[in-house]
Amino acid sequence: MTGFEQLVRGFSVALSWKGLLYCFIGCLWGTVVGVLPGLGPLAGMTLLLPLTFGLDPTIGIIMLTGIFYGAMYGGSTTSILVRIPGEAASVVTCIDGYEMARQGRAGPALMISAVGSFIGGTVSVLGLMFIAPPLAKLMIAIGPSVEVVLMLLALFVISIVSAGSRIKTATMVVLGLLLGTIGLDNLTGAPRFTFGSPELSGGLSFAALAIGLFGLSEILLNLEKTETIKAIQPKLRDLIPRWNDVRDSAPAIGRGSVIGFIFGIIPGVSHVVSTFVSYAVEKRLSKHPEQFGKGAIAGVAGPETANNAVTGTAMIPLLALGIPSIPATALLLSALTIHGVQPGPLLLTDRPDVFWGLVASMYIGNVILLTLNLPLVGIFVNLLRIPYQWLVVAILVISIIGVYSVNSSVIDIWIMVVSGGVGYLLRKLGYEMAPLLLALVLGDRLESSFRLALTMSGGNYATFLDSASVVVLGSALGLLLLIQGLAWMFGYRKSITDEAERA
Amino acid sequence: MADPASVTDRTGAPQDAVAPEPAPRPLLPGVIGSRSAGLLAAATLVLIGGFFAWQAALLDLGQIGLPGPGFFPLALAVLLVVFAAVIAIEGWLSSSKDEPLEFGHVQVLISFAALLVVPFLFELVGAYITLGLMSAVLLVFIARVSVLLAIPCSAIGMAACWYLFGELLGVRLPMGPF
Repeated sequence: MTGFEQLVRGFSVALSWKGLLYCFIGCLWGTVVGVLPGLGPLAGMTLLLPLTFGLDPTIGIIMLTGIFYGAMYGGSTTSILVRIPGEAASVVTCIDGYEMARQGRAGPALMISAVGSFIGGTVSVLGLMFIAPPLAKLMIAIGPSVEVVLMLLALFVISIVSAGSRIKTATMVVLGLLLGTIGLDNLTGAPRFTFGSPELSGGLSFAALAIGLFGLSEILLNLEKTETIKAIQPKLRDLIPRWNDVRDSAPAIGRGSVIGFIFGIIPGVSHVVSTFVSYAVEKRLSKHPEQFGKGAIAGVAGPETANNAVTGTAMIPLLALGIPSIPATALLLSALTIHGVQPGPLLLTDRPDVFWGLVASMYIGNVILLTLNLPLVGIFVNLLRIPYQWLVVAILVISIIGVYSVNSSVIDIWIMVVSGGVGYLLRKLGYEMAPLLLALVLGDRLESSFRLALTMSGGNYATFLDSASVVVLGSALGLLLLIQGLAWMFGYRKSITDEAERA
Repeated sequence: MADPASVTDRTGAPQDAVAPEPAPRPLLPGVIGSRSAGLLAAATLVLIGGFFAWQAALLDLGQIGLPGPGFFPLALAVLLVVFAAVIAIEGWLSSSKDEPLEFGHVQVLISFAALLVVPFLFELVGAYITLGLMSAVLLVFIARVSVLLAIPCSAIGMAACWYLFGELLGVRLPMGPF
């Protein structure tokens, strides 16, 4: 069956009433969690994970992925209207988006942001469609030693692209890998660090850790804040941008698509970094850089396009290699595994319905989000009028039920609560949680592949430097160095500190 | 034209109705400096690494060419100890200002304490009763809602949870003695 035929088959799944319904639910919930500060795509996906248990895997993954990219759309709304980023990737949008809103131009900012998000999202799905299948074929041809090299490379990159302290990030990576060894050893079945508890035999629950480290710690941190929310309500008739807006934002959207697409490959914080790079690029290329920070529409169009262009690209390493690059795709990996689907090179041959159904649904989801976000912007903003403390209660109840329902184990609630407390303390001390989660997900496979490669080579460590590995490592490293060089050239690291402070 | 409209504070109270409340006082303000806290965290990581190294050493380490189940965790635990030690030394030698870090925020402590009770009661008295109690406590102490309002709100919330999760989604939660 050709790729086109498979895509058509994918559309038949995505356009079924179930596919459309759950894609819509995912996009709607994703927008809501994107709008609400303190709830990101990861928490949003974990909360609805139990809902997918009774569903066909393809439909379940369509819904969870909808939450992922829906949150990227939703995050811009609060950035523009309230100056509070609903999602980490929307921090940059606060700068010029909110300035535009203050000048009575919230409508065009929202419209351009939505159109940019749509274009960025669609471009990235095209990339996913064309790059993932050949990459998966390439991966089938190479062995576990290359897998080890790739995973080590991913973890190394996570450590170096982090905005915070590198040694702290590296420590979190090691801690994540170490926590990943808890449970039965994959190759010998020997229990490790389980202390006789059968609940720990399967390892620490990823959902519990993810909710605790990301969701719960974020809630606890937010409870310390009491800043005032000033929401600006735009009117629907004000949404149409002027010709000048279109002229200024069109090239920014084009560049944002490319930047987001390229940065989506980088593991770690790619969606956040891409927005800062896009902003820096737009500011540098603008004929009026002095307008940035005072309501320049290119400062909204570029970053918003970039953070949505990351979503499709971030799915490439997950679906083609089975290696998640950001925490949200790590949760998707976990969800797919729960459904008995193993992401990786064999996914396209073993379960093409899942891959092509997902690709098709992402096209549909982007259209749903474009049509959903603009007319309902007033409703989404009104969500912010719900007292945060009431939301906290609701989020905690749903989180506890969600975490328990994965394994029906109270141990998982303990893991969630304790990791939430630890995450809160560590985040206050400047440690990042994303590297820990990614390492936790990769750890098991890294160790298995490492030991398998050594067994196959008779204990020869040179197997990690064979020709295929060197080619993969060399090209990946070259690409990453190029991207990193470009990022440094445009001063994204400086931008992160400067612009985040301003936002 | 867009018009500035609703103004609410983080606690949700409309600003035009109620003046913004002052931030709740932390219980133990500035009880620990950022440098000391950093050193404490690094020391804890060293201890965690040491514990894992000790436990991993009890497992079969295998050989360097054919590692056993204890090899990988031992190597990682040693690496954790080394990295945490580097962080501790960096923190010790750092010339940055030792700013106080607030860890004793009232709302954070109440929320965390309420969460810690949940796993103890979850199977013992049932999921819905436990979560209902937690909700009521949080509504009273965090959202500053009166007890008379918090109890029916929690009960309605739990009924909604039972219908959504138990009936519609088929999630089986412990019912306790009932």
